[in-house]
Amino acid sequence: MEVEEVYSSSELDRKEGKAINELIARSQEPIPDPDQWLDEELKRNILLTSVDAMLDWARRSSLWPVFCFPACCAFEFMTTAASRFDISRFGMEIVRASPRQADLMITAGTLTWKMAPQVKRIYDQMAEPKWVIAMGACAISGGIFRSSYSVVPGYNRIIPVDVYVPGCPPRPEALLYGIRMLHQKIAKMSIAAKGK
Amino acid sequence: MLADYGYIGLFLVVAIFFAVTTLLLPFFLSFPSRLVLYFRRFTRYLETHYPFLVRFIPPLPKFPRFMQVVPYNPTPVKSSTFECGMETIGTAWVRFNFRYYFYALVFIALDILVVFLYPWAVELRGLGLFGLIAALVFIFIIVIGYIYAWRKKVLEWK
Amino acid sequence: MTVALSGSEIASQIEKQFPGGVVESGADSLLVKGESLLEIAAYLKTTAGLDFDYLTAITAVDYYDCFEVVYQLTSIKHNHSLVVKTRCYNRDNPTLPSVVGLWRGADFQEREIYDLMGISFEGHPNLKRIVLWDGFQGHPLRKNFL
Repeated sequence: MEVEEVYSSSELDRKEGKAINELIARSQEPIPDPDQWLDEELKRNILLTSVDAMLDWARRSSLWPVFCFPACCAFEFMTTAASRFDISRFGMEIVRASPRQADLMITAGTLTWKMAPQVKRIYDQMAEPKWVIAMGACAISGGIFRSSYSVVPGYNRIIPVDVYVPGCPPRPEALLYGIRMLHQKIAKMSIAAKGK
Repeated sequence: MLADYGYIGLFLVVAIFFAVTTLLLPFFLSFPSRLVLYFRRFTRYLETHYPFLVRFIPPLPKFPRFMQVVPYNPTPVKSSTFECGMETIGTAWVRFNFRYYFYALVFIALDILVVFLYPWAVELRGLGLFGLIAALVFIFIIVIGYIYAWRKKVLEWK
Repeated sequence: MTVALSGSEIASQIEKQFPGGVVESGADSLLVKGESLLEIAAYLKTTAGLDFDYLTAITAVDYYDCFEVVYQLTSIKHNHSLVVKTRCYNRDNPTLPSVVGLWRGADFQEREIYDLMGISFEGHPNLKRIVLWDGFQGHPLRKNFL
Protein backbone atom coordinates (compact mmCIF):
# COMPACT_ATOMS: atom_id res chain seq x y z
CA MET A 1 0.00 0.00 0.00
CA GLU A 2 1.65 3.23 -0.96
CA VAL A 3 1.30 5.92 1.64
CA GLU A 4 0.82 9.46 0.42
CA GLU A 5 2.63 12.08 2.41
CA VAL A 6 0.14 14.86 2.87
CA TYR A 7 1.77 17.85 4.42
CA SER A 8 -0.67 20.71 4.52
CA SER A 9 -4.11 20.81 6.03
CA SER A 10 -5.56 22.51 2.97
CA GLU A 11 -4.49 19.53 0.92
CA LEU A 12 -6.20 17.28 3.44
CA ASP A 13 -9.36 19.39 3.18
CA ARG A 14 -9.36 19.26 -0.57
CA LYS A 15 -8.82 15.50 -0.60
CA GLU A 16 -11.60 14.99 1.88
CA GLY A 17 -13.95 17.27 -0.04
CA LYS A 18 -13.19 15.50 -3.29
CA ALA A 19 -13.79 12.10 -1.70
CA ILE A 20 -17.12 13.26 -0.29
CA ASN A 21 -18.29 14.76 -3.57
CA GLU A 22 -17.34 11.60 -5.40
CA LEU A 23 -19.22 9.51 -2.87
CA ILE A 24 -22.31 11.68 -3.30
CA ALA A 25 -22.09 11.27 -7.06
CA ARG A 26 -21.79 7.51 -6.72
CA SER A 27 -24.64 7.14 -4.22
CA GLN A 28 -27.57 8.50 -6.14
CA GLU A 29 -29.42 5.17 -6.14
CA PRO A 30 -29.94 2.95 -3.12
CA ILE A 31 -28.01 -0.30 -3.11
CA PRO A 32 -30.41 -3.23 -3.47
CA ASP A 33 -30.89 -5.25 -0.29
CA PRO A 34 -29.13 -8.61 -0.24
CA ASP A 35 -32.15 -10.85 -0.19
CA GLN A 36 -31.97 -12.74 -3.44
CA TRP A 37 -31.07 -15.96 -1.76
CA LEU A 38 -34.05 -15.72 0.54
CA ASP A 39 -36.67 -16.00 -2.14
CA GLU A 40 -35.34 -18.65 -4.43
CA GLU A 41 -36.22 -22.25 -3.88
CA LEU A 42 -33.27 -23.63 -2.05
CA LYS A 43 -32.59 -27.10 -3.22
CA ARG A 44 -31.07 -28.29 -0.07
CA ASN A 45 -28.52 -30.97 -0.27
CA ILE A 46 -29.53 -33.56 2.29
CA LEU A 47 -25.96 -34.19 3.31
CA LEU A 48 -25.30 -30.54 3.98
CA THR A 49 -28.38 -29.61 5.90
CA SER A 50 -26.81 -30.29 9.24
CA VAL A 51 -23.61 -28.55 8.22
CA ASP A 52 -25.70 -25.57 7.17
CA ALA A 53 -27.60 -25.66 10.41
CA MET A 54 -24.46 -25.81 12.48
CA LEU A 55 -22.72 -23.03 10.58
CA ASP A 56 -25.74 -20.76 10.64
CA TRP A 57 -26.27 -21.42 14.33
CA ALA A 58 -22.65 -20.55 15.04
CA ARG A 59 -22.77 -17.41 12.95
CA ARG A 60 -25.97 -16.05 14.38
CA SER A 61 -25.35 -16.90 18.00
CA SER A 62 -22.57 -14.42 18.57
CA LEU A 63 -22.90 -11.50 16.24
CA TRP A 64 -20.40 -8.92 17.40
CA PRO A 65 -21.42 -5.39 16.50
CA VAL A 66 -18.95 -2.76 15.38
CA PHE A 67 -19.14 0.82 16.61
CA CYS A 68 -21.34 2.82 14.30
CA PHE A 69 -23.34 5.14 16.51
CA PRO A 70 -23.54 8.61 15.01
CA ALA A 71 -26.62 9.95 16.84
CA CYS A 72 -29.50 9.44 19.24
CA CYS A 73 -30.36 5.83 18.35
CA ALA A 74 -27.10 5.02 20.06
CA PHE A 75 -28.80 5.68 23.37
CA GLU A 76 -31.42 3.12 22.61
CA PHE A 77 -28.68 0.71 21.64
CA MET A 78 -26.94 1.38 24.92
CA THR A 79 -30.20 0.70 26.70
CA THR A 80 -30.57 -2.54 24.81
CA ALA A 81 -27.06 -3.48 25.77
CA ALA A 82 -27.59 -2.64 29.42
CA SER A 83 -28.99 -4.99 31.97
CA ARG A 84 -32.72 -4.67 31.52
CA PHE A 85 -32.82 -5.58 27.83
CA ASP A 86 -29.67 -7.58 27.66
CA ILE A 87 -28.05 -8.28 24.32
CA SER A 88 -25.47 -10.35 26.11
CA ARG A 89 -27.96 -13.19 26.08
CA PHE A 90 -27.51 -13.20 22.31
CA GLY A 91 -23.75 -13.13 22.62
CA MET A 92 -23.60 -9.57 21.37
CA GLU A 93 -22.28 -7.63 24.32
CA ILE A 94 -18.85 -7.49 22.71
CA VAL A 95 -19.05 -4.29 20.70
CA ARG A 96 -15.76 -4.12 18.88
CA ALA A 97 -14.15 -0.91 17.78
CA SER A 98 -12.15 -2.74 15.16
CA PRO A 99 -14.15 -3.84 12.15
CA ARG A 100 -11.90 -6.84 11.66
CA GLN A 101 -13.33 -8.47 14.77
CA ALA A 102 -16.97 -7.60 14.14
CA ASP A 103 -19.58 -9.13 11.93
CA LEU A 104 -22.58 -6.89 12.42
CA MET A 105 -22.99 -3.20 11.89
CA ILE A 106 -25.97 -1.70 13.71
CA THR A 107 -26.17 1.74 12.22
CA ALA A 108 -27.70 3.79 14.97
CA GLY A 109 -28.06 7.39 13.97
CA THR A 110 -28.30 9.98 11.26
CA LEU A 111 -25.45 9.87 8.79
CA THR A 112 -24.08 13.02 7.23
CA TRP A 113 -22.26 13.08 3.94
CA LYS A 114 -19.14 14.25 5.71
CA MET A 115 -19.02 11.07 7.79
CA ALA A 116 -20.23 8.76 5.03
CA PRO A 117 -16.83 7.84 3.51
CA GLN A 118 -15.59 6.78 6.94
CA VAL A 119 -18.59 4.57 7.62
CA LYS A 120 -18.31 3.00 4.18
CA ARG A 121 -14.65 2.33 4.76
CA ILE A 122 -15.35 0.69 8.09
CA TYR A 123 -17.99 -1.48 6.45
CA ASP A 124 -15.54 -2.43 3.71
CA GLN A 125 -12.92 -3.35 6.28
CA MET A 126 -15.20 -5.79 8.07
CA ALA A 127 -14.47 -9.40 7.32
CA GLU A 128 -17.11 -11.52 5.68
CA PRO A 129 -19.69 -12.75 6.57
CA LYS A 130 -21.11 -9.42 7.64
CA TRP A 131 -24.60 -8.02 8.08
CA VAL A 132 -26.09 -4.57 8.57
CA ILE A 133 -29.09 -3.55 10.66
CA ALA A 134 -30.39 -0.08 9.83
CA MET A 135 -31.75 1.22 13.13
CA GLY A 136 -34.09 4.13 13.28
CA ALA A 137 -35.84 6.31 10.75
CA CYS A 138 -32.71 8.25 9.86
CA ALA A 139 -30.86 5.07 8.99
CA ILE A 140 -33.68 3.74 6.85
CA SER A 141 -34.42 6.81 4.79
CA GLY A 142 -32.88 9.87 6.34
CA GLY A 143 -35.83 10.32 8.68
CA ILE A 144 -36.99 13.85 9.27
CA PHE A 145 -33.71 15.14 7.89
CA ARG A 146 -34.20 13.55 4.52
CA SER A 147 -34.27 16.75 2.50
CA SER A 148 -31.30 18.28 4.26
CA TYR A 149 -28.25 19.36 2.35
CA SER A 150 -25.92 17.27 4.41
CA VAL A 151 -27.76 14.09 5.40
CA VAL A 152 -27.43 10.75 3.63
CA PRO A 153 -30.97 9.61 2.82
CA GLY A 154 -30.63 6.19 4.35
CA TYR A 155 -27.62 3.98 4.88
CA ASN A 156 -28.60 1.81 1.92
CA ARG A 157 -27.17 4.49 -0.36
CA ILE A 158 -23.69 3.53 0.67
CA ILE A 159 -23.85 0.03 2.17
CA PRO A 160 -26.23 -2.92 1.62
CA VAL A 161 -28.67 -3.30 4.51
CA ASP A 162 -30.17 -6.58 5.68
CA VAL A 163 -32.73 -5.61 8.31
CA TYR A 164 -34.55 -2.32 8.79
CA VAL A 165 -35.77 -1.44 12.28
CA PRO A 166 -38.15 1.51 12.17
CA GLY A 167 -38.66 3.90 15.04
CA CYS A 168 -37.43 7.25 16.17
CA PRO A 169 -35.70 5.88 18.11
CA PRO A 170 -36.85 2.27 18.11
CA ARG A 171 -37.52 0.94 21.56
CA PRO A 172 -35.12 -1.72 22.80
CA GLU A 173 -37.80 -4.32 22.25
CA ALA A 174 -38.03 -3.23 18.63
CA LEU A 175 -34.28 -3.48 18.19
CA LEU A 176 -34.28 -6.93 19.76
CA TYR A 177 -37.06 -7.94 17.37
CA GLY A 178 -34.92 -6.71 14.50
CA ILE A 179 -31.98 -8.72 15.79
CA ARG A 180 -34.22 -11.76 16.00
CA MET A 181 -35.28 -11.18 12.39
CA LEU A 182 -31.62 -11.10 11.43
CA HIS A 183 -31.10 -14.38 13.26
CA GLN A 184 -33.92 -15.91 11.25
CA LYS A 185 -32.42 -14.52 8.07
CA ILE A 186 -29.03 -15.99 8.90
CA ALA A 187 -30.66 -19.32 9.75
CA LYS A 188 -31.93 -19.52 6.21
CA MET A 189 -28.50 -19.11 4.68
CA SER A 190 -27.15 -22.10 2.89
CA ILE A 191 -23.53 -22.57 2.06
CA ALA A 192 -24.45 -24.64 -0.97
CA ALA A 193 -26.39 -21.75 -2.51
CA LYS A 194 -24.89 -18.75 -4.20
CA GLY A 195 -25.33 -16.39 -1.25
CA LYS A 196 -22.72 -14.96 1.08
CA MET B 1 1.28 -39.08 31.55
CA LEU B 2 -0.93 -36.04 31.76
CA ALA B 3 -2.03 -37.12 35.20
CA ASP B 4 1.54 -36.74 36.41
CA TYR B 5 1.49 -33.10 35.50
CA GLY B 6 -1.78 -32.34 37.14
CA TYR B 7 -3.65 -29.18 36.37
CA ILE B 8 -0.83 -27.69 34.38
CA GLY B 9 -1.17 -30.47 31.86
CA LEU B 10 -4.86 -29.77 31.53
CA PHE B 11 -4.12 -26.11 31.05
CA LEU B 12 -1.63 -26.95 28.35
CA VAL B 13 -4.19 -29.05 26.51
CA VAL B 14 -6.76 -26.26 26.70
CA ALA B 15 -4.22 -23.71 25.50
CA ILE B 16 -3.24 -25.81 22.52
CA PHE B 17 -6.87 -26.49 21.70
CA PHE B 18 -7.69 -22.78 21.91
CA ALA B 19 -4.79 -21.77 19.68
CA VAL B 20 -5.68 -24.38 17.10
CA THR B 21 -9.37 -23.51 16.89
CA THR B 22 -9.05 -19.77 16.85
CA LEU B 23 -5.95 -19.35 14.75
CA LEU B 24 -5.05 -22.39 12.77
CA LEU B 25 -8.40 -23.95 12.02
CA PRO B 26 -9.98 -20.95 10.27
CA PHE B 27 -6.75 -20.42 8.38
CA PHE B 28 -6.69 -23.98 7.11
CA LEU B 29 -10.41 -24.01 6.42
CA SER B 30 -9.99 -20.93 4.26
CA PHE B 31 -7.71 -22.79 1.90
CA PRO B 32 -10.45 -23.80 -0.55
CA SER B 33 -11.62 -20.21 -0.95
CA ARG B 34 -8.05 -18.99 -1.18
CA LEU B 35 -7.14 -21.52 -3.80
CA VAL B 36 -10.21 -20.66 -5.84
CA LEU B 37 -9.28 -17.00 -5.71
CA TYR B 38 -5.64 -17.61 -6.56
CA PHE B 39 -6.61 -19.78 -9.48
CA ARG B 40 -8.99 -17.12 -10.76
CA ARG B 41 -6.28 -14.46 -10.45
CA PHE B 42 -3.76 -16.71 -12.15
CA THR B 43 -6.00 -17.37 -15.15
CA ARG B 44 -6.79 -13.68 -15.44
CA TYR B 45 -3.08 -12.84 -15.36
CA LEU B 46 -2.38 -15.39 -18.07
CA GLU B 47 -5.24 -14.15 -20.21
CA THR B 48 -3.98 -10.58 -20.10
CA HIS B 49 -0.25 -11.19 -20.46
CA TYR B 50 0.20 -14.53 -22.16
CA PRO B 51 -3.02 -15.39 -23.95
CA PHE B 52 -1.48 -18.14 -25.97
CA LEU B 53 -0.67 -20.11 -22.82
CA VAL B 54 -4.30 -20.28 -21.73
CA ARG B 55 -4.96 -23.43 -23.67
CA PHE B 56 -2.40 -25.26 -21.55
CA ILE B 57 -4.30 -24.76 -18.29
CA PRO B 58 -6.26 -27.92 -17.57
CA PRO B 59 -9.89 -27.31 -16.63
CA LEU B 60 -9.30 -27.82 -12.94
CA PRO B 61 -12.46 -28.51 -11.04
CA LYS B 62 -12.66 -25.76 -8.49
CA PHE B 63 -13.67 -26.55 -4.95
CA PRO B 64 -17.42 -26.96 -4.51
CA ARG B 65 -19.24 -24.22 -2.67
CA PHE B 66 -19.83 -26.22 0.48
CA MET B 67 -16.08 -26.49 1.00
CA GLN B 68 -15.62 -22.75 0.78
CA VAL B 69 -16.93 -22.25 4.27
CA VAL B 70 -14.46 -19.58 5.34
CA PRO B 71 -14.65 -16.72 2.84
CA TYR B 72 -11.58 -15.05 1.45
CA ASN B 73 -12.31 -11.95 -0.59
CA PRO B 74 -9.55 -9.41 -0.10
CA THR B 75 -9.98 -5.98 -1.66
CA PRO B 76 -7.55 -3.07 -1.43
CA VAL B 77 -9.77 -1.16 0.98
CA LYS B 78 -10.43 -4.22 3.11
CA SER B 79 -6.76 -5.03 3.46
CA SER B 80 -5.74 -1.48 4.26
CA THR B 81 -4.76 -0.43 7.74
CA PHE B 82 -7.58 0.54 10.03
CA GLU B 83 -7.57 4.22 11.02
CA CYS B 84 -11.13 4.71 12.22
CA GLY B 85 -12.50 4.93 8.72
CA MET B 86 -10.09 7.44 7.32
CA GLU B 87 -7.38 6.90 4.78
CA THR B 88 -4.14 6.29 6.59
CA ILE B 89 -1.74 9.19 6.82
CA GLY B 90 1.82 8.17 7.50
CA THR B 91 3.07 4.82 8.69
CA ALA B 92 2.12 2.91 11.80
CA TRP B 93 5.60 2.81 13.25
CA VAL B 94 6.15 6.35 14.48
CA ARG B 95 8.90 7.83 16.57
CA PHE B 96 7.89 7.98 20.17
CA ASN B 97 9.35 9.71 23.19
CA PHE B 98 12.39 7.86 24.53
CA ARG B 99 11.30 8.48 28.10
CA TYR B 100 8.73 5.72 27.73
CA TYR B 101 11.66 3.35 27.33
CA PHE B 102 13.23 4.47 30.62
CA TYR B 103 10.00 3.99 32.49
CA ALA B 104 9.53 0.58 30.95
CA LEU B 105 13.04 -0.48 31.99
CA VAL B 106 12.66 0.67 35.57
CA PHE B 107 9.24 -0.93 35.72
CA ILE B 108 10.56 -4.29 34.53
CA ALA B 109 13.33 -4.32 37.09
CA LEU B 110 11.06 -3.47 39.98
CA ASP B 111 8.35 -5.80 38.74
CA ILE B 112 10.74 -8.75 38.90
CA LEU B 113 11.61 -7.68 42.42
CA VAL B 114 7.95 -7.63 43.39
CA VAL B 115 7.35 -11.07 41.91
CA PHE B 116 10.03 -12.47 44.18
CA LEU B 117 8.71 -10.59 47.16
CA TYR B 118 5.18 -12.01 46.96
CA PRO B 119 5.99 -15.58 48.08
CA TRP B 120 8.51 -14.24 50.54
CA ALA B 121 5.86 -12.05 52.13
CA VAL B 122 3.44 -14.96 52.39
CA GLU B 123 5.98 -17.14 54.23
CA LEU B 124 7.62 -14.38 56.19
CA ARG B 125 6.71 -15.69 59.62
CA GLY B 126 8.05 -19.14 58.85
CA LEU B 127 11.35 -17.92 57.45
CA GLY B 128 12.42 -16.10 60.55
CA LEU B 129 15.16 -13.57 60.88
CA PHE B 130 17.41 -15.20 58.30
CA GLY B 131 14.74 -14.92 55.64
CA LEU B 132 14.13 -11.31 56.52
CA ILE B 133 17.79 -10.34 56.26
CA ALA B 134 18.25 -12.23 52.99
CA ALA B 135 15.31 -10.53 51.34
CA LEU B 136 16.36 -7.15 52.66
CA VAL B 137 19.80 -7.62 51.13
CA PHE B 138 18.11 -8.46 47.83
CA ILE B 139 15.87 -5.40 48.03
CA PHE B 140 18.83 -3.25 48.93
CA ILE B 141 20.75 -4.34 45.83
CA ILE B 142 17.83 -3.56 43.55
CA VAL B 143 17.06 -0.27 45.25
CA ILE B 144 20.63 0.89 44.66
CA GLY B 145 19.97 0.64 40.95
CA TYR B 146 16.68 2.45 41.37
CA ILE B 147 18.29 5.30 43.31
CA TYR B 148 20.99 5.54 40.65
CA ALA B 149 18.34 5.94 37.98
CA TRP B 150 16.55 8.50 40.12
CA ARG B 151 19.65 10.60 40.65
CA LYS B 152 20.48 10.49 36.97
CA LYS B 153 17.17 12.22 36.29
CA VAL B 154 15.83 9.28 34.31
CA LEU B 155 12.41 9.55 35.93
CA GLU B 156 11.84 13.16 35.04
CA TRP B 157 9.61 13.98 32.12
CA LYS B 158 10.56 17.11 30.32
CA MET C 1 -26.28 36.65 37.61
CA THR C 2 -24.69 38.56 34.81
CA VAL C 3 -26.15 41.99 34.34
CA ALA C 4 -27.23 42.58 30.76
CA LEU C 5 -26.28 46.13 29.93
CA SER C 6 -28.69 48.00 27.75
CA GLY C 7 -27.36 49.43 24.56
CA SER C 8 -28.44 52.94 25.26
CA GLU C 9 -26.15 53.20 28.29
CA ILE C 10 -23.10 52.37 26.27
CA ALA C 11 -24.20 54.24 23.17
CA SER C 12 -23.52 57.69 24.49
CA GLN C 13 -20.07 56.63 25.68
CA ILE C 14 -19.22 55.22 22.30
CA GLU C 15 -20.66 58.13 20.37
CA LYS C 16 -18.24 60.42 22.13
CA GLN C 17 -15.27 58.32 21.07
CA PHE C 18 -16.41 57.26 17.61
CA PRO C 19 -18.90 59.74 16.30
CA GLY C 20 -21.25 58.20 13.78
CA GLY C 21 -20.33 54.64 14.64
CA VAL C 22 -23.53 53.73 16.40
CA VAL C 23 -26.54 53.37 14.14
CA GLU C 24 -29.14 52.73 16.79
CA SER C 25 -29.27 51.51 20.33
CA GLY C 26 -32.08 49.81 22.12
CA ALA C 27 -32.69 48.30 25.50
CA ASP C 28 -31.20 44.97 24.56
CA SER C 29 -28.56 45.61 21.94
CA LEU C 30 -26.33 48.05 20.18
CA LEU C 31 -26.26 48.34 16.39
CA VAL C 32 -23.01 49.61 14.95
CA LYS C 33 -21.71 50.28 11.46
CA GLY C 34 -19.57 47.64 9.82
CA GLU C 35 -16.68 50.02 9.17
CA SER C 36 -16.30 51.05 12.78
CA LEU C 37 -16.89 47.59 14.20
CA LEU C 38 -13.26 46.78 14.88
CA GLU C 39 -12.43 50.00 16.68
CA ILE C 40 -15.60 49.91 18.76
CA ALA C 41 -14.86 46.30 19.68
CA ALA C 42 -11.33 47.23 20.71
CA TYR C 43 -12.70 50.11 22.73
CA LEU C 44 -15.19 47.84 24.47
CA LYS C 45 -12.48 45.38 25.30
CA THR C 46 -9.88 47.74 26.64
CA THR C 47 -11.81 50.45 28.44
CA ALA C 48 -11.79 50.21 32.20
CA GLY C 49 -15.35 49.97 33.43
CA LEU C 50 -16.44 48.03 30.33
CA ASP C 51 -13.67 45.36 30.01
CA PHE C 52 -15.48 42.98 27.69
CA ASP C 53 -12.80 40.33 27.63
CA TYR C 54 -14.93 37.28 26.81
CA LEU C 55 -16.75 36.78 23.54
CA THR C 56 -19.60 34.43 24.33
CA ALA C 57 -20.87 33.91 20.82
CA ILE C 58 -21.05 35.28 17.32
CA THR C 59 -24.07 34.39 15.22
CA ALA C 60 -25.49 35.65 11.97
CA VAL C 61 -29.08 36.20 10.88
CA ASP C 62 -30.35 36.43 7.34
CA TYR C 63 -33.06 39.08 7.09
CA TYR C 64 -34.10 39.21 3.50
CA ASP C 65 -32.43 42.49 2.67
CA CYS C 66 -29.37 42.29 4.84
CA PHE C 67 -27.26 40.01 6.99
CA GLU C 68 -26.95 40.83 10.65
CA VAL C 69 -24.04 39.56 12.70
CA VAL C 70 -24.59 39.45 16.44
CA TYR C 71 -21.73 39.58 18.93
CA GLN C 72 -22.47 38.61 22.51
CA LEU C 73 -19.82 39.99 24.82
CA THR C 74 -19.32 39.35 28.51
CA SER C 75 -17.08 40.94 31.05
CA ILE C 76 -15.80 38.46 33.58
CA LYS C 77 -14.38 41.18 35.78
CA HIS C 78 -17.52 43.27 36.12
CA ASN C 79 -20.02 40.50 35.44
CA HIS C 80 -22.02 42.29 32.80
CA SER C 81 -22.81 41.48 29.23
CA LEU C 82 -23.68 43.28 26.05
CA VAL C 83 -25.03 42.45 22.63
CA VAL C 84 -23.51 44.24 19.64
CA LYS C 85 -24.93 43.87 16.14
CA THR C 86 -23.78 44.93 12.69
CA ARG C 87 -25.51 44.72 9.36
CA CYS C 88 -24.16 43.90 5.90
CA TYR C 89 -26.30 45.05 3.06
CA ASN C 90 -24.19 43.42 0.37
CA ARG C 91 -25.86 40.13 -0.58
CA ASP C 92 -23.30 38.88 -3.06
CA ASN C 93 -20.08 39.13 -1.14
CA PRO C 94 -20.64 40.38 2.37
CA THR C 95 -17.47 41.15 4.30
CA LEU C 96 -16.78 42.26 7.79
CA PRO C 97 -13.58 42.81 9.74
CA SER C 98 -12.61 39.85 11.85
CA VAL C 99 -12.31 40.20 15.62
CA VAL C 100 -9.95 37.26 16.00
CA GLY C 101 -7.19 39.62 17.01
CA LEU C 102 -9.23 40.71 20.02
CA TRP C 103 -10.95 37.50 21.05
CA ARG C 104 -9.41 34.17 19.97
CA GLY C 105 -12.74 32.45 20.44
CA ALA C 106 -13.99 34.15 17.32
CA ASP C 107 -11.85 31.90 15.15
CA PHE C 108 -14.12 28.89 14.72
CA GLN C 109 -17.33 30.87 15.05
CA GLU C 110 -16.44 33.16 12.16
CA ARG C 111 -15.48 30.13 10.11
CA GLU C 112 -18.88 28.66 10.82
CA ILE C 113 -20.60 31.89 9.76
CA TYR C 114 -18.53 31.92 6.59
CA ASP C 115 -19.40 28.28 5.91
CA LEU C 116 -23.13 28.51 6.45
CA MET C 117 -23.92 32.15 5.60
CA GLY C 118 -21.17 33.17 3.26
CA ILE C 119 -20.02 36.27 5.16
CA SER C 120 -16.27 36.69 4.73
CA PHE C 121 -14.17 38.10 7.52
CA GLU C 122 -11.14 40.16 6.59
CA GLY C 123 -8.08 39.45 8.62
CA HIS C 124 -9.15 35.97 9.63
CA PRO C 125 -6.08 33.71 9.62
CA ASN C 126 -7.78 30.56 8.33
CA LEU C 127 -11.11 31.29 6.68
CA LYS C 128 -12.30 28.00 5.27
CA ARG C 129 -15.30 25.72 5.70
CA ILE C 130 -15.61 24.07 9.06
CA VAL C 131 -18.84 22.05 9.26
CA LEU C 132 -19.36 21.34 5.59
CA TRP C 133 -16.76 19.86 3.35
CA ASP C 134 -14.42 21.68 1.05
CA GLY C 135 -16.06 21.75 -2.37
CA PHE C 136 -19.63 22.13 -1.16
CA GLN C 137 -21.42 24.64 -3.37
CA GLY C 138 -23.44 27.31 -1.68
CA HIS C 139 -24.12 28.53 1.80
CA PRO C 140 -27.00 26.54 3.26
CA LEU C 141 -28.37 28.80 5.97
CA ARG C 142 -29.11 31.64 3.59
CA LYS C 143 -32.77 32.16 2.91
CA ASN C 144 -32.32 31.66 -0.82
CA PHE C 145 -30.38 28.40 -0.60
CA LEU C 146 -33.20 25.97 -1.23
